Amino acid sequence: MTSLALAWRTAQRYRARTVLAIIGVAVIGALLFDMLMLSRGLLLSFADLLSSAGFDVRVVGSLSVPSLRLPITGSTSLADDIRRLPEVERVALIRLESATVRIAGGPLRNITLVGTTDVGEDAWTLVKGVNLKSAGAQADRCALVIAQPLASALAIGPDARLTLNARPPGVVSVLPPMDCRVVGIAEFAFASTDDETAATTMDAFQEAIGQPGAADADLVLVASRQEAGPTATAQAIAKLRPDLRVFSNEDVVAQFNRNGFAYFQQISFVLSSLTMVFAFLLVATLLTVSVNQRLGEIAALRALGIGRGRIAAMLLWESALLVGTGGLLALPLGAALSVGLDRILRQMPGLPERLHFFVFEPRALVIHIVLLVITALAAAAYPIWLTARLPIAATLRREVVG
Amino acid sequence: MQRACHNPSVIAFRTGLAAVALLVATAAAVLGARDRPLSILVSRQLATRAHLAVGDVVTLAADAKGARAAAFRIAGVYEPTPDPMVFTAARLEARLHLPDLIDLVADPSDPSSREAAGIINLKLVGPQDGPRFASDLMARAPGVAVRPTARSSTSDPFAVLERFHVAISAVTMVSGTAFLLALMVIRAEERRETVGILRLVGISRRSLLTTVACEGLLVAALGAVFGVLLAYASEGLVNHIFQARYDTTLVFVRVTPSIALRTIAVAAPLGILAGIGASWTMLRREVLSIFRR
Repeated sequence: MTSLALAWRTAQRYRARTVLAIIGVAVIGALLFDMLMLSRGLLLSFADLLSSAGFDVRVVGSLSVPSLRLPITGSTSLADDIRRLPEVERVALIRLESATVRIAGGPLRNITLVGTTDVGEDAWTLVKGVNLKSAGAQADRCALVIAQPLASALAIGPDARLTLNARPPGVVSVLPPMDCRVVGIAEFAFASTDDETAATTMDAFQEAIGQPGAADADLVLVASRQEAGPTATAQAIAKLRPDLRVFSNEDVVAQFNRNGFAYFQQISFVLSSLTMVFAFLLVATLLTVSVNQRLGEIAALRALGIGRGRIAAMLLWESALLVGTGGLLALPLGAALSVGLDRILRQMPGLPERLHFFVFEPRALVIHIVLLVITALAAAAYPIWLTARLPIAATLRREVVG
Repeated sequence: MQRACHNPSVIAFRTGLAAVALLVATAAAVLGARDRPLSILVSRQLATRAHLAVGDVVTLAADAKGARAAAFRIAGVYEPTPDPMVFTAARLEARLHLPDLIDLVADPSDPSSREAAGIINLKLVGPQDGPRFASDLMARAPGVAVRPTARSSTSDPFAVLERFHVAISAVTMVSGTAFLLALMVIRAEERRETVGILRLVGISRRSLLTTVACEGLLVAALGAVFGVLLAYASEGLVNHIFQARYDTTLVFVRVTPSIALRTIAVAAPLGILAGIGASWTMLRREVLSIFRR
């Protein structure tokens, strides 16, 4: 009989404890798998979010991170200069401002107004109506694509009319309101679930803030040509305007990794380590207690001529059966658990709707398997050592006398 | 003490809502413009980074090129209030009197810039009037966002993190219960013959169940107490590592009596259930079948 067959028989004989051990390993393995997905999930999701807009280089005027935006002086001529660079495929200007909207007879609502030269499908996901570049929308002086939460809050749909007032911070605004038409309702990639955002063309935006044809953009988005790549494009743009900050998507993700992501990396590392220790303790304790119970049986097997190596292999197989089966069950269980945990974490205020904390990647699966193999080997080590130094005659005698 | 270096060092940081530059080497050049330099406080982190001490005179400017520079004497070094929202950020900060800050950063060509403030903090006479006050003010001054300083449970990221930690604790408790149940099953199997003899001499099922429930309770409670002691003992180490890593005085882990009690309160009934569950199948059998006869 092979060592695997012996281990299988032991598992069948002690069915209850085997099932419970597998359940324990499956639950703790699911947590381990989730922590491995969490360790880089936010980063992967953020990188995916950045690249989903179709741009891979960002130009900002601030001294700090891209989220702290200051208007870029001369952004229109800068955009023209960038367009002429051989590395560049596409350029878009973005400007954000606080504003209020009101439907006839309704109260004022504070919103974030986005002015953009990029009115294509990449900028947002249209769920109702038409986009800003449609012929009908271009005929309007002020056409708006609004976020779903704002549409729900105002209880309006496409073709609704509202008045818009830009409210630049730090100044008392007496800008006249603009009559606008909602042409579409969309999901904005970076908008949070409760974010009330409206987007319009840069021309309409400039008119709304009282600077027709003159307002500077907060952010210039650039799509590099495939053969040039974002790094070379960012360097070329930085040479054009050394006073600006130019980030490739990789730079932004790296900065996010250093600052905003630290907490989840730490907690993922701490909990992964704890779950490993817990799984090791669980399997090692159960195997040790099980071996102590079966010392007479093992001594009898040794007396029948079964060598130390086969006994060790049997215990190794027992450990592998417990950890392997539990580890396999941990994968679907972990996937289901990650949905619930992700839902909890996504309740954080201000998070983009499409950002996720738990993201599967093959790397997580490989690490999960490697860690469980190490756990199975480590958990079997002490019981193997116990059986290897077992005195056969004395154990059998003690068993008979007992 | 007047600091003067041959190689000017520039550190960009934020004071209140303004990003300014600290120009260590140019203090002497601008000091003459005013008889006595104004006082500022600098954060411990900034003092360490820029090698500053109380009494040093430094120059603050609106930008790294030294625009609208002014000399300030460091009156003190302070430890920034730990903020869990920005614990990963280097706290390179200085505190100025508001008029001094406005002199430093206001645009001379725009008189209204002297009137601009990023945030106004208010303390209401009746704290319960917060929502009504916020609603009134936002209606009168559209574009102004009014927020309570106390976060509600729906908008507090730490309330979300707490829910996340509770969910993780629940998962580990499920796994721990399976572990405990497996151990109790092994214990029950070990004592099969003892239990049979006890039943034969007339000890009731109820008494035996009470015994295993007490044993489960004891194991779970001792395990929970050991866990709490371990957490308490490692609390300082964890805080020390993270405080050093992020250069902050923020407390990351704190084992409170409430947490300790909650841990024991959850573990104890689970131990009782594990003890009873593991022995139940065996105890409900007929006595002879316990001896496998």
